[in-house]
Amino acid sequence: MNADAVLRIENLGHSYGRFKVIEDISLAIGKGETSALIGPNGAGKTTFYNAISGKFPPTRGKVFLNDEEITGLPSHRVVAKGMCRSFQITNVFTELTVAENVFTPLIIQQKKHFKLYGSVYRDRQIVEKAMHTLEQVGFADRADQTVSSLAYGDKRLVEMAIVLARAPSVVLLDEPTAGMNPEETENMINLIKKLAKVSGTTFFITEHDMKVVFSLAEKIYVLHQGHLLAQGRPEDIRANADVQEAYLGRKVHA
Amino acid sequence: MAAQKRHNLAGPAILVALLFVAPLVMPVYWVMVLSEILIMGLMAMSFNLLFGFTGLLSFGQGAFFGLGAYTAALMLQNGLGNLFLILLAGMLVACMAALVVGFFSVRLDEIFFAMITLGFGMMFFSIAHNWIAVTGGSDGLPVFALPSLVLFGAELTFYTPTSMYYLVLVAVVLGSALLWLIVHSPFGLILKSLRENKQRVAFVGGNVSRLRIAAFAISGTFTGLAGVLFCLFNNMASPEFMHWSFSAKPVIMSIIGGTGVFLGPLFGAGIFFVLEQVIIQYTENWMLFLGIVLIPIVLFFPDGVFGTLHKKFLKKS
Repeated sequence: MNADAVLRIENLGHSYGRFKVIEDISLAIGKGETSALIGPNGAGKTTFYNAISGKFPPTRGKVFLNDEEITGLPSHRVVAKGMCRSFQITNVFTELTVAENVFTPLIIQQKKHFKLYGSVYRDRQIVEKAMHTLEQVGFADRADQTVSSLAYGDKRLVEMAIVLARAPSVVLLDEPTAGMNPEETENMINLIKKLAKVSGTTFFITEHDMKVVFSLAEKIYVLHQGHLLAQGRPEDIRANADVQEAYLGRKVHA
Repeated sequence: MAAQKRHNLAGPAILVALLFVAPLVMPVYWVMVLSEILIMGLMAMSFNLLFGFTGLLSFGQGAFFGLGAYTAALMLQNGLGNLFLILLAGMLVACMAALVVGFFSVRLDEIFFAMITLGFGMMFFSIAHNWIAVTGGSDGLPVFALPSLVLFGAELTFYTPTSMYYLVLVAVVLGSALLWLIVHSPFGLILKSLRENKQRVAFVGGNVSRLRIAAFAISGTFTGLAGVLFCLFNNMASPEFMHWSFSAKPVIMSIIGGTGVFLGPLFGAGIFFVLEQVIIQYTENWMLFLGIVLIPIVLFFPDGVFGTLHKKFLKKS
């Protein structure tokens, strides 16, 4: 096992009734490493994400974040420990401004969510951090726009800013480029690369678009029918016969 | 740099000034109507903290209004005549009850939340209606001696409609100012975030249940304040304050006035009572005509009357 793993998962499994959606998944993600979880539809990627991010507790196994066990903690406590996630379907505060979207995680992080007086706009600690986050995703000049008025790709960037605002050590991105046009996809890839390099954030993404996966991931995990089929560097995964079979449904003779 | 939000306080300041001079030019009867508008407006604004700002439709606000009223009536009947103490006690009792009701209700959403709060409201109604020894049953609790207030050595009493109006006005202005502060605070922004997307709040570290309970308790507290004032104004606490049909009033007022603007529900209360006064001159069946008036309001003023006008004339962008 990786000694300085930031996210470590041991024998994770989840069942709905008697149906085992995911089973016996163990992996360790190194600090600052960008990795991807891939697999055909129904492989259990979203269930895996939900089970480790606190949407529901996993049926079996353990999750460690920075060597601290977080198995089964509710989502808000997982976030407090330093892991934040995005969702497949854009999950933002639609009728609020871009700035307010980013203020929200910062208010909670700084434990000002029960503060009943004063304005966030006059709270320099929050405004500066929010603007810093918005600059990272290239949104600083549109802080006052209502999110509902933005294009789809931009909404996904706002969600990215929400996720990044608290400077989490691990960021889970569930299909960050889903529904994006090629240009938006390119921008997202560059953004994640830049953030991983500059802030040292550990990104763990799921993705359908193999172009995105291979241009981002330093390590790839392949999920198939609830099991971890393979893991390794992109070139190893590319050449792996089992993976090709899982995706193409037949044996490939190499 | 995120633009600092500038609040235009000229409108509210003019409104408060007008309300202060209103009794000088108004017949006493309308001063009383205005008192009722202010009290119910405070109730509606407290309700709207939950509905318009947090996205929770509470159908049991009457319980907290009634608890405020009964607390005041019971204290006065037992010789506890300190005005501040009565106001504080009424708010405290309503707050405690709202914490308990909130604890059991906030895990639900939408119609389920509306139904469980309605259920709790009717529980309180039944207690007030049937526990005759304490609450006076369906007759309610009458109040004979009103509290007075000693200010700068002078004793103020509230037995005339105009003096009562000023008591109500000062309390409602202070209550609304506190609500306004809360709505615009960091907590207030989190409430709006909850309204927009509670899952996202949970996934940036917010404890959704706890935040909602806090909102519910604050709403209940100010509803309790409105209840105390209504008991003093009305000279009685009655179980009907806790009935679900009474809880529907702030809902209707907020929708008439507009749930998206802070003062919308207050204007909704104004429209509600003025309509009642006008229609009642012609017919007893004023609710029928209220319905007829409500339909075009909902159709043509989707953000409420005040909300739509506010959008049109004040927020040109």
